[in-house]
Amino acid sequence: MELYKYLPKTNCKLCGKPTCMAFALDLLQGKAKVDECTPLLEPKFNTQYNTLKELLGAEEGQQKELKINVDTDLCDGCGICVTVCPVNARYCPPTLSGKAPDYPPEKHQLFQVKEGKCELLEIKHCRRLDFEGRERECRVCETYCPRDAVKIEYV
Amino acid sequence: MKRIPCSGCSLLCDDVIIRSDGIYIDEVIGACIKGKERFDQTTAKNRIINPMIRKNGELQKVSWDEALDKTLKIIKNTSNPLLYGFSTVSCEAQLKGIELARMINGFIDSNSTICQGRLLNKAKETGITLTTITEIINKGDLIILWGANAAESIPRLLNKILFSRGKFRMTGREIKTLIIIDPVKTASFGVMGVRDIALIIEPNKDLDLIRILKEECCKADSIPSEGVAGIDKDDLKRLLLHLTGAENGVIFAGQGLLNSDLGSDVLKEFLELIQMINLKQEKGRISVILMGGHYNMTGFEHVALSAVGKNHSLQFSNGEFVDTEKTIISKIESEDFDSSIIVGTDPISHLAKRLSSKLAKKPLILIDNRNSSTLNIADVVLPTALTGIECEGLAYRLDHVPIELQKIINPPNKVPSDEELLEKIIHKLKT
Repeated sequence: MELYKYLPKTNCKLCGKPTCMAFALDLLQGKAKVDECTPLLEPKFNTQYNTLKELLGAEEGQQKELKINVDTDLCDGCGICVTVCPVNARYCPPTLSGKAPDYPPEKHQLFQVKEGKCELLEIKHCRRLDFEGRERECRVCETYCPRDAVKIEYV
Repeated sequence: MKRIPCSGCSLLCDDVIIRSDGIYIDEVIGACIKGKERFDQTTAKNRIINPMIRKNGELQKVSWDEALDKTLKIIKNTSNPLLYGFSTVSCEAQLKGIELARMINGFIDSNSTICQGRLLNKAKETGITLTTITEIINKGDLIILWGANAAESIPRLLNKILFSRGKFRMTGREIKTLIIIDPVKTASFGVMGVRDIALIIEPNKDLDLIRILKEECCKADSIPSEGVAGIDKDDLKRLLLHLTGAENGVIFAGQGLLNSDLGSDVLKEFLELIQMINLKQEKGRISVILMGGHYNMTGFEHVALSAVGKNHSLQFSNGEFVDTEKTIISKIESEDFDSSIIVGTDPISHLAKRLSSKLAKKPLILIDNRNSSTLNIADVVLPTALTGIECEGLAYRLDHVPIELQKIINPPNKVPSDEELLEKIIHKLKT
């Protein structure tokens, strides 16, 4: 979001991406460079261009990987991440007390609670990697964790 | 590998998966940190598996016969025993406890008396609207936590009631509104979304808020412009709008409300407020769920009601039930007892020091499965099996739904279940 603020927000599609938000996400992951946004090169966007360059620094253009870190010291196994994850919800079987994760876990399942702590099973089906458009900006597991144990990072 | 109900807390989650070889529990899937601790208790260091007797000030391991003889000696020498606890044992054991109390003319009480029992007592006068967790999952649209920190006390509660995708609530979290009324910003505030309302109330001002809401229910615009109890006017209006407009709302009354310093007035007015809202509402209703902690606290209310006709604080005299106003607190305070039998609880660390020191003066029999502060003053310690893991039994969930707990593994050292042990004591007393 920080990067998106400094883009023209016109969704002109000149960079080849459908929206400025998608371009911002690619900037963050190092898949795109600031110079690919041609309207930014115009003089009126000069300060924004410089701020973006400054924000990204040496990391510009370096490919980054998505990481979901679960802090097991903070986690108390409430399983909110398991239930709230839209990928999990699609494949989890319904039980009497709502949708509960399957065991052994379905191959799409991202999280499971084991031994009282949450653990990440498979990241490749995460919406941030496997989906297109606005769904790529999914952050529900991080937002709703009451103990702030789940963190989405690009390393 | 099977799904079993967990006996870690009063939510009794029925979707926990256990992998076991019949001797040990190998893997626990889906249980929270509290449930995991319960399953770990089978092999924990503080587990008691041998009966013990205090000799020369030291607890010493003895045989079952010796421990039971000493227990009977204590019981036979008393005329006014106190039986307390019974909220972490099965309903069958609770029934045996009442039978024992009737036999020895004792006073029996559960932890409920200092927790949710106070509100249920008031509900006899005003009435109470209850609901079930399943109904909230499938139909609920408003969840209010009043003085309750669900995220830390019952970790999986918010997951089930707020995030689960139910039959008529397919989108789960998005369709449900959460309102938290609490003086402290607890961990539960972490799950709030943009539409939810956080009401930080000034401590001990619940009564003011309830009274204003009651007035507002009768006539419009009685809210003072500066707000009530630290909550501003707009937030109060939104709260009232949600309360009167919800299709299936539920208020979780936590310890902040149940055990507040305001006494029982607040509980009565709280119940009256809910009645008032429900009368005014045309299409929906507001219900209450009490946030008890121990896994079978609600069970004692039901067992006592069916066996005697009163939900807690039962006094027996000459084998008959005597109605009394006394509770466990007033009994200990006035030292109106000459021995105590503590079942599955730890009053020394739960009760105030002035009470626990009085409890420690008289002979104490402890029936429990773990090492606690009460063990340090007990004269006889009788170990039991863990209900829901090492023996089966019935327990009531916090929403008054009975759940059958199952047996997974055998208890260590062949310790009896609470029910078997109490039965043995009763049998020995008869002969």
